[in-house]
Amino acid sequence: MADLKQSAPAVSTHGEGAVPAPGATHEAAGAEHGSGGLPQFEFQHWGGQIAYLLVLFAILYVLIARVFTPRIRRVIDERASTIAGAIEAARQVQAEALEQSRAAAADLAEARSRSQRLAIDARAKAASEAAERSAAEDAKLAVHIDEAEARIAAMRDSAMAHVGAVASETAMAIVQKLTGKPASAAEVKSAMALRGGVA
Amino acid sequence: MADPLHQFKIEKIVDLPDITLPVVGHVDLAITNSHVAMTVAFAAIVLFLTAVTARAQVVPGRLQTVGEGLFGLIDNLTDSIIGHEGRKYFPFVFTIFTLILGMNFLGLMLAFTATSQIAVTATFGILTIGLVLIIGFAKHGLGFFKLFVPSGVPWILLPVIVLIEFASFLLRPVTLTLRLFGNMMGGHVALKVFAGFVVTLGAMAMAGGFGLLGIPGAMLSLSLVTGLTALEFLVAFLQAFVFAVLTCIYLNDVVNLGHGH
Repeated sequence: MADLKQSAPAVSTHGEGAVPAPGATHEAAGAEHGSGGLPQFEFQHWGGQIAYLLVLFAILYVLIARVFTPRIRRVIDERASTIAGAIEAARQVQAEALEQSRAAAADLAEARSRSQRLAIDARAKAASEAAERSAAEDAKLAVHIDEAEARIAAMRDSAMAHVGAVASETAMAIVQKLTGKPASAAEVKSAMALRGGVA
Repeated sequence: MADPLHQFKIEKIVDLPDITLPVVGHVDLAITNSHVAMTVAFAAIVLFLTAVTARAQVVPGRLQTVGEGLFGLIDNLTDSIIGHEGRKYFPFVFTIFTLILGMNFLGLMLAFTATSQIAVTATFGILTIGLVLIIGFAKHGLGFFKLFVPSGVPWILLPVIVLIEFASFLLRPVTLTLRLFGNMMGGHVALKVFAGFVVTLGAMAMAGGFGLLGIPGAMLSLSLVTGLTALEFLVAFLQAFVFAVLTCIYLNDVVNLGHGH
């Protein structure tokens, strides 16, 4: 840096009447500027710019480090915690809702099974009642049928008895006609018993 | 045509008495257009950051979104490049970034670009490398020189590698300085040259006759100036960003010396 400063007067002081740099000849300076040297290499202006920039840099650094960065970080952290809190709350609500829906589903399942059980019981009860009733009817019917059968059997027996008498009379008549002499009732009866036994 | 380099000329606005310092030598104290440009950029940054942070809300407004965007950009850089210690160096990187960005942008809107002055860019470059050196020696003492000895290099290559690493380290401030300076100055010279064409060709067209051919040329130049201006805004941001990235990388070299390679 030091040698830059010392070489500065030799480079150019064109148009700076107020600054007669020590050891610089104006002719040389003018010639050099005319040859198109970059204005950025007029080193006598470096010191002031650098010093000023360093001051500005230092002030801005302190401001940013002490004021602006903490402020922005605080807001960003606050936002992050707000968002995290909101997400946490939402998660809790979601979990609650999930639990409630699970409970509701369990209730529903229980109610359904209860109703099914009720339905099955009712059906079984109805079926057993119906079976009982039909059994009672069956029994009543069976009694009627037995009575009717007994009546029929009695009627048939008496009818059969009449048939035997009619047959023996008919047989005695037939024998009388055929043989000319009457057959005794006992003979006819034994003959019929023989026949009926064979038949 | 106006001299395209004239815009880089330092003009004194208020002259102050010169001083001669023992080491530095003769210093021309004056408030120049460069000082004004730097001050305006500085004031704009402070105003912007104050506006962003003064009434900072959890739900940000437009300005706060922009400010937090810039903040987050550099915060991510320092975090991702330097690592968990990055926060300590954030203010430095952010200061450099905002100052360069402010000066670049204001140069596109005002008449003078502070970052096209090599004195200014060199100050930024030397500040960065100075911080790197200070951190390097403060954290590692003489172990700082391990920076030039990458691990895992065959010993026979070591002298060459060390030489190359050392030279590249020495060139860091120079490249930092010249990259920013060259980009800013080149862009502004190009803008000035094409803008000068518009005026010159327009003047030719005023004379009539063949000079009327200057009109399409002037139109072309004007559209080029428009396009270049947009490009320069991109470059202005990009150069500030590149400077910040490189600052982070160089800081990372010494902050995480020995376990970063």
